[in-house]
Amino acid sequence: MAVEIAKQNWDGQVEELTIGATEEEGGTRTSTVTVGGETTLPFLHFEGEIPNKPVVALEILDEEPKDWPEPLAEVWGDVWDDPAKWAKKCVEEYGAELIALRLTSADPIGQDRSAEEIAETVEEVLDAVGVPLIILGCGDEEKDNEILKAAAEAAEGENLLIGFAEEENHSTIAAACMVHDHNVIAQSPVDMNICKQLNILLTDMKVKTNQIVIDPLVSSLGYGMEYSYSVMERIRLGALRDDDMLAMPMINFIGEEAWDVKETQASEEEKPGWGELSTRGIQWETAMGTTVLQGGADILVARHPESKENIEAGIEELMTESSYE
Amino acid sequence: MPVINFLLDSEKIEFTCDSGTNLMEAVVEAGIELKAVCGGAGSCGKCQVIVKEGEVNQLAQGSLSPDKLKQGYVLACQTEVIEDVRIEIPPESRLSEHQIFVAEEAEDEELLTEKEIQIAEKIELDPLYKRVDLELDEPTLVNNASDLDRLYTGLNQRHDWPGLTTSLSVMEDLASHLRDNNWQTQVSLALANDNYEVSELNAPDYEQPDYGIAVDIGTTTMVLELINLETGESVATSGLYNKQGRYGDDVIGRINYAKQNDDGLDKLHQAVIDTINELIDDVVNKESIDYADIKTAVFAGNTTMSHLFLGIDPNNIRLEPYIPTVNFIPPLQAEELGIKIKEEGWIHYLPGVSSFVGGDITSGVLATEIGKREEITLFIDIGTNGELVLGNQDWLITCSCSAGPAFEGGGIEYGMRAMSGAIEFFEIDEDTYEIKYSTINARPPIGVCGSGLIKLIATLNEVGIINRSGKFESDFEHERLREREYETEFVLVWEEQAGIDEDIVITENDIKNLLRSKGAIYAGIRMMLQNMSLTEDFIEEVLVAGGFGNYINIDDAKKIGLLPDLPNDKFKFVGNTSLKGAKMSLLSKEKFDQVNEIANKMTYLELSAEDQSQEFMDEFVSAQFIPHTDLSLFPSVTETNSDD
Ligand code: FES
Repeated sequence: MAVEIAKQNWDGQVEELTIGATEEEGGTRTSTVTVGGETTLPFLHFEGEIPNKPVVALEILDEEPKDWPEPLAEVWGDVWDDPAKWAKKCVEEYGAELIALRLTSADPIGQDRSAEEIAETVEEVLDAVGVPLIILGCGDEEKDNEILKAAAEAAEGENLLIGFAEEENHSTIAAACMVHDHNVIAQSPVDMNICKQLNILLTDMKVKTNQIVIDPLVSSLGYGMEYSYSVMERIRLGALRDDDMLAMPMINFIGEEAWDVKETQASEEEKPGWGELSTRGIQWETAMGTTVLQGGADILVARHPESKENIEAGIEELMTESSYE
Repeated sequence: MPVINFLLDSEKIEFTCDSGTNLMEAVVEAGIELKAVCGGAGSCGKCQVIVKEGEVNQLAQGSLSPDKLKQGYVLACQTEVIEDVRIEIPPESRLSEHQIFVAEEAEDEELLTEKEIQIAEKIELDPLYKRVDLELDEPTLVNNASDLDRLYTGLNQRHDWPGLTTSLSVMEDLASHLRDNNWQTQVSLALANDNYEVSELNAPDYEQPDYGIAVDIGTTTMVLELINLETGESVATSGLYNKQGRYGDDVIGRINYAKQNDDGLDKLHQAVIDTINELIDDVVNKESIDYADIKTAVFAGNTTMSHLFLGIDPNNIRLEPYIPTVNFIPPLQAEELGIKIKEEGWIHYLPGVSSFVGGDITSGVLATEIGKREEITLFIDIGTNGELVLGNQDWLITCSCSAGPAFEGGGIEYGMRAMSGAIEFFEIDEDTYEIKYSTINARPPIGVCGSGLIKLIATLNEVGIINRSGKFESDFEHERLREREYETEFVLVWEEQAGIDEDIVITENDIKNLLRSKGAIYAGIRMMLQNMSLTEDFIEEVLVAGGFGNYINIDDAKKIGLLPDLPNDKFKFVGNTSLKGAKMSLLSKEKFDQVNEIANKMTYLELSAEDQSQEFMDEFVSAQFIPHTDLSLFPSVTETNSDD
């Protein structure tokens, strides 16, 4: 008996967005990363186009991390006091195509580094590696407005991805991204409506829709990831139903969330039933990554190179053509 | 005391006032509508009048030209009356409805002024208390029925009155009354439960008219109309703040008060009865009638109000699963409740549907006749409870979206009800941010009422002072925008021009509250539509009730996303339909029965029920944006800036 393949014909398409600019494009990157452009649900190649594969970035800090658990210290401990070296290791040893640099040293209750110092760090990292960068603030609103502006200026022409613009605080950073030609991450608290509102506010400021990446804020596996997952699905469905204000690629900071919970931190003595700590965290991060891929993630930011490798292996398989011809 | 003779184009109005009275105030009190764009600050120069005879005391002349000064022109708001004067009010200074728009030429149709529902024309008079003239056969040895049976027979010959009953006081006097009046009598029948009661007998030549009252028991304000039951005319109206206000602003606050204080329920009950009695005192005095001349009463109010009116504990109204003690309230006698009309007079309270949709809404449905139309109508009560009704002759669905009191001025720092001195219109210059406004009765501004708030939010967004989430734009700088302890605020009226000793401002928090209110209302509308699998386009007419001011600007209401984006001619502003429905029920037994049918027919949509609440929250969040997160729902107000 003949089985007809049911295909959904979508009207909408996710915006295609490129991070990084090579010399011809006015930057100094040796490679760039392009994401988005989907006209179908995740990996359903048979009913639409998935022109770009999702990318896994590695995350680095601009100072020695305070509370990263043992398995991360093992990989990065030798370089994490120097962001340039750290970035190099990501690229040279672990093949990162994209690096997320988190500027925690600017935190006013920490080192409180100045905008000038931060700009220098950004330049150093740009010099050290050729891959494009994602630049993230320290989490203090006021300070971030200052340092991200400085970072955007220092990296003018590099077409980076900078975050975060939030509903309550978006104009300074969006303006900096516009002036210095970068892309911006629009972060909303697990809420499709606020995600959309923020995108409207940004486009009202004349930020282009193909220069925005949505961060729907993912929670850790076991700590509410299912909410984030369904919000991601709704955002993607909105994009495919031709809602411009939801048609942006999505980014998920899985590393930050995965390594922040007891399951990836508690020792074996403390939790004998949970198995080895050295693999537990990697599995946790991997599981998060592979799950949000199904929700429509385009960029994943991981902390452990092994998780990155696992997820990439998964992406490789998912990207094989599956049309029924 | 000086006498002012006002000369209008064809009319003359005489007005007596105290020496030193502000001429503007005298004008307003004399019922003349004068332009006063600056609200009496002396800066707009619109309130010009001409002193024809007599001396006045001029405090300022503003920018009046020497020529005009010579002709006797003065600014009314800057003039005091000290002796007898003749004042001409030139037509250009008079305020007609449309001139309220100071600069732009208002399109008629974007203005929603209250449409009076013509009750008398619509109904056949058959009041809940009425008189029947009778001539009875004299008893004989053959015709030996009892006096009461004789009376019933006489009545039934005229009409079929199933289940007639009679009050004891009537029976006591019956024998002598019939004999004294030679078997001729006027019988007064009062609707009791489902039947009529013979409640009074009067001599055939008795002429004193019977009165009834219709009362709207609002959470915030109460209004009473005294009605002549024979003619159906409203003879006096009186309004007061609900005295329960001191125990809480909204129904939930009052329910809590009743719960937490030993005598809380008693106090709340007494407060509403006291308010009603004061309203009755007022109309009784105005019309010089007796309390006992008021024979019956119809009340309409929300469910919490009905419980407090009856003195019934309202606590379960606010506890899941939100069950009121009564929806259909049997008639009671005035004496039982301590209401100062005829002691045995019957009191009717219109039926409710649920804990949060009460008799005020069923009354509104009756008055607006939504349940009789073929077309689908949306009824919106923009008040604290935010009740909504959608439907037609086949079905009616209702919900309460708890909009909060923002559009009635509650929770807004300088918000107020639509009363004298309330700003009801704004205009902000795009370049200079200079603000023009107009106030109700042209008094110096003391706050902003609902229509002013709608206009304000729309305008602030339009000229780029606030963004679509209601936040002040971060790059907007002007002396009017300033920080005050954890709050950003925008000065609307400087102290010098205000009728209070403070600047009148709107804060970011106020704007948030307003967006919440309008978001709740719009989300409620979406929920009803979705439950019926309908879209906005199916709505043929939108009836807006609520105490805004003299008008609402529909375009602005659409711009902020309070009302759905439908053609302007689909909107009607219907005012206090709760009172109108109560009056209709009082004057027509048929209408009174209809309102019971309506209450039975209305399906209540519980927005906090499990299968609805998630979706409602979703709709609510997406509606807390100007005009909405889904801009495609408001094509007419968003298309202009989509490609610039
Ligand atoms: S000048 Fe009198 S009201 Fe404006």
